[in-house]
Amino acid sequence: MKKITLFVLSVLAVFGLAACGGTTEEGWDSSSNITIYTRDTSSGTRAGFMAGIGFDDAAEDDNLLADGFVIKDNTGIFTTMQTDEYGIGYVSLATYVSDPDVVKALDFESVEASLANVMNNTYGLKRPFNYVLRQLDDYATDTEKDIVLAFVAFLETTDGADIITNKGGVPLTSTKTWDDIKADHTVCTEDNSGVTIKFGGSDSIEKIAKALSEAFAPKCGNFVPEHDHTGSSDGYKRTQGIEKDGDNAKHIGFASRPFKTDGSEGTVLEQDELNQDETKGQLAWDAIVAIVHLDNELDNVTADDLMNIYSGTYSVWDDLLE
Amino acid sequence: MHKIHELYTNMREKLRFNSRKERVDFIIHSMFLLATVVSASFIIIIVIFIAQEGMIPFVTDNDGLGAVNLWRFLTGFTWLKGTAFQSNLYAVGYIIINTLYVAFLSLLLAMPIGVLTALFIAKIAPKKIAEVLRTIVEMLAAIPSIVYGLFGAGLILPWIYEFAKIFGVQSKGGNSVLATVLVLSLMILPTITALSEVAIRSVRSDIEHGSLALGATKTQTNFKVVLTSAKSGIFASAILGVGRALGEATAVSLVAGNARSGPSFGLFETTSTLTSTMLQGLKETVGIDYDIRFSVGIVLMVVILLTNVTLNFVKKEVGNVDVK
Repeated sequence: MKKITLFVLSVLAVFGLAACGGTTEEGWDSSSNITIYTRDTSSGTRAGFMAGIGFDDAAEDDNLLADGFVIKDNTGIFTTMQTDEYGIGYVSLATYVSDPDVVKALDFESVEASLANVMNNTYGLKRPFNYVLRQLDDYATDTEKDIVLAFVAFLETTDGADIITNKGGVPLTSTKTWDDIKADHTVCTEDNSGVTIKFGGSDSIEKIAKALSEAFAPKCGNFVPEHDHTGSSDGYKRTQGIEKDGDNAKHIGFASRPFKTDGSEGTVLEQDELNQDETKGQLAWDAIVAIVHLDNELDNVTADDLMNIYSGTYSVWDDLLE
Repeated sequence: MHKIHELYTNMREKLRFNSRKERVDFIIHSMFLLATVVSASFIIIIVIFIAQEGMIPFVTDNDGLGAVNLWRFLTGFTWLKGTAFQSNLYAVGYIIINTLYVAFLSLLLAMPIGVLTALFIAKIAPKKIAEVLRTIVEMLAAIPSIVYGLFGAGLILPWIYEFAKIFGVQSKGGNSVLATVLVLSLMILPTITALSEVAIRSVRSDIEHGSLALGATKTQTNFKVVLTSAKSGIFASAILGVGRALGEATAVSLVAGNARSGPSFGLFETTSTLTSTMLQGLKETVGIDYDIRFSVGIVLMVVILLTNVTLNFVKKEVGNVDVK
């Protein structure tokens, strides 16, 4: 019995010492190793992040990342950054703005990560969510065309913006509600339950697109939305490009990157030119933010910094702070 | 044709009941048979399905990537070199080692605690307290694994991160072998406790009385006689515990760090298990990257089967004291 008591006491002593050790903080030590956190290779956020920092090859290739990286999901990275003083990770901006006081978001190229800066196009670590429609003279019926145009109008309403926000996107500014503009779209007062509208393109946008069409169909004569998302490149191809009259033809395509096509597939469109083409436009931004622990002394990173961190060129925080 | 006719008359013969009782008996019998066949056939369906999907990477050329090399797959020390969807170089050798290592450590931690708890509930605690404690342990078993995972991510990880600092180790946010072991131990603890308690209770009281009559104290009897007599049942609890530890996915993937190469033996190193590897990106992936997860599933089933067979063998060797 005595032995047991002694054992219990010594265990308690060890834990007591451990507790003491935990409370003595020496402050943030910039000579510590950087621990990098990443999403897994099938994540769209990872693809967006890597593309944003000019490290495209690492989107699907763990081999290019620094040794000893940790794979976590969005919330996993967010919660770990509250603990790990020397870690760095990235999450969608929507995650960060929902609780901005528990981790530190790094400025990207000296621009603060905020919704405002994403929308005024100054924050760089982002990608556009774009749509592309069939050419206006290329619909089988006028009803189909009118529904498609009504859907696009719906994208620009606050109703649409709420849905986009709920699904993690950053919508463009909108002031009108659907009720304000629905009088302009008489097609929605008819019974459209026999009409199928085909959506396709980017699978990163699939969740948002599905939520939007599900919400919009009842508002517009119960047309039947059909989703088949196979990748950004198919968005243009199947509405205006070489597959537009094939079996996979779509009414609306989505692309999670700016439209740029080689000569054979139509015009190259910069983001700014989008609004001048009535069949193409943007519905939202997907913004990503690099986050670190609150104690981290770093405030700003450049795309090069992030690339050097994730590729392992910078292994301690001093490499960045010099 | 004749045969079938014979069979049919045989059946009729059998189905001609002499009394209502016999008929009810037959119906009940058939119901039980049906239930057994249904539940037993599910395992076969599952095994066939997993095997079918899991074979694909090894027997097809995976849309031009080439078949996955089985030997490399089973012995390699890196999950994937190079680009997903453009490579067939998957390997789970280190993950098998990690999985067994983590399960073993969890058992090492949970076993003594669980057995001592069981002993306390069964033999030492006053009836009322035992009742309450048993309910608590049973509730522990009912908590879903995602809750354990969140508990691990929210509480155990920060704790381990601070703990590692004492040893001068900069752990990766606490994601480590130790965190995995702690979460798993917590999860298999109720299984071990509940089953051990049953085993301890089923030790014949005359053995215990004999020990006490010979002048042994209560504690001596509990440890030297009761536990020894119940060792077979206690070992059975360990087998089920290991089964749960090997198969747990959600909680583990939240705290393991999901290392892509290994094996990892250090307590503060990140690790990965077969299940956490299967879970990574499962929802978003296609092609070989998806199919290979079923292959990992086959490996997991084989590992669990082999572990159980081994432990059952050991259990037999440990021997059985006459219990009722």
